[in-house]
Amino acid sequence: MTGMQRLLASLLLLAVIVYLSLAMGDVWMQPFAKLSDTDATILWDLRLPRLLTALAVGGMLALAGAWFQVLLGNPLAEPYVLGVAGSSAAGAVLALFLVPDSAWLMSAGAFAGAWLGIVVVMFFAPLGRGSLLLAGVVLAAFWSAVIALLMALLPSRSLVLAFGWMLGDLSRSPLPLWLLWLVWGGALAAGLWLSRSLDRLLLGEKHAAALGVNVPQLRQRLLWLASAVTAVAVTAAGTIGFVGLVVPHLMRLLFGSLHRPMLIASAIGGGALLMFADALSRTVAAPAELPVGVLTAMVGVPLFLWLLVRRDG
Amino acid sequence: MLRFEHVSLCRGERELLRHAEFAIAPGRVTAILGPNGAGKSSLLLAMAGLLPASGGHVLLQDRPVEELSRMEVAATIAWQGELPAAEFGLTVRQRLELAAGDGESLPRLQQAAARMEVGHLLDRDLARLSSGERQRVELAAIMLRDCPLWLLDEPTAHLDLKHQTLLLRMLRQEAAAGRAVVTVLHDLQQAMAVADEVILLDGKGGVETGEAGGLLTAERLSRLFQVELMSFAEGQLLLPDYRT
Repeated sequence: MTGMQRLLASLLLLAVIVYLSLAMGDVWMQPFAKLSDTDATILWDLRLPRLLTALAVGGMLALAGAWFQVLLGNPLAEPYVLGVAGSSAAGAVLALFLVPDSAWLMSAGAFAGAWLGIVVVMFFAPLGRGSLLLAGVVLAAFWSAVIALLMALLPSRSLVLAFGWMLGDLSRSPLPLWLLWLVWGGALAAGLWLSRSLDRLLLGEKHAAALGVNVPQLRQRLLWLASAVTAVAVTAAGTIGFVGLVVPHLMRLLFGSLHRPMLIASAIGGGALLMFADALSRTVAAPAELPVGVLTAMVGVPLFLWLLVRRDG
Repeated sequence: MLRFEHVSLCRGERELLRHAEFAIAPGRVTAILGPNGAGKSSLLLAMAGLLPASGGHVLLQDRPVEELSRMEVAATIAWQGELPAAEFGLTVRQRLELAAGDGESLPRLQQAAARMEVGHLLDRDLARLSSGERQRVELAAIMLRDCPLWLLDEPTAHLDLKHQTLLLRMLRQEAAAGRAVVTVLHDLQQAMAVADEVILLDGKGGVETGEAGGLLTAERLSRLFQVELMSFAEGQLLLPDYRT
């Protein structure tokens, strides 16, 4: 397939996913058919905003993942690798510990926790790539310990809320939709603006510097950008795993490693994957909802492995 | 073009260069020689402004290199170091485009690729090439950049004899056309064949610079590399005795 054909195929796939995500749920609905008032409310006031939230959050996670991978020069990096998700979850659980049952306060705790995590990581920013990654992994372990400690002390009612949040929940984003879309669009624009330097960073820091990139400045910008976007995504929907790790690789396999096409594809593809996973999570065990983070992995893993085998096989 | 004034260079506790004074001029090939760990690569990085000197000044066209922006340095200096990372999957063409900058014409890219005999590899994934092929891609990237000063860190590494010869002849041609070429070399015969000037590093901070003919003698190099060298063909061939 040529690049153009691939793009058209992807857009077609996106349209199908949007349609399915609207139609799927405990009740199957035809979005373009004549609907009763109740059904119309479910479709346009409940499913559509949730779909749009998923699109933005998934896109942000994929962008942040792509940035962390090139920043750290490590294909295994993802948005949570430097402990921002861990600190955010610790903040959320701490809020639940202080005031049980307050979903709003839990989100506030998640946001504050994410920023605390970012401030701590920034302290290690001047380290080399390998050391920064190690520092992040160790910090993540520290935050996990904090979470485990708080969870041990939580009443069981709050535990359910905490678990649900940590596995990802798109049903009650405390952030307004326009803000999520603004951050998503802004993140993509910033990514495209940096794309030429990011491409050169793929060769390694010394090679990028030799080609005229101000590497310390770029690292600083990337670290802030990727962390801030991760903080917003996590605050909106909890710690949804997998999207940020795999979507950038998926898009590299489909569109190549240069960042202009790859970031656009990640921003949309990450959203599409999360949207579809969320629709499945509402459907497969309806009327119960499964955690969306479980579904992202279950949809994404086979898809990714298939592409990987096809490329290297 | 490039001048070192009283430059000292450290890596950790070790002093690699002490008060070094020399100049790199257009139209000359300068070879850097010295034992492992003597600081040859670090010296190249310092020349490129990628490693700060611990004392003295590195002047690029009479301005301290640390005061220039990376873009300004990149417009003058093309640096070739270790093979770049390839785990994120770039093609040869994309790697060359990254070196070339925006709006580079396709014929120039193909010409540079052809000179290093990688024209047939343009659409291949970098990670799937042999080390020698990747090294040739790196050298094609240097040619594409058309900078007045080339800094090459063991450009003959990974190359077979044919491509080593091709490269070394090219370095002579480029110097004849006015380019300044600085290259780290390990092969004494190659250094004698292509270098106008040499920089000898002893790894303890000592630096000797001067005309290649004057400095590349059996006695001096035996001391530098701590290997007894025998001189053949009126000093044009220096060899250790491998059989003792």
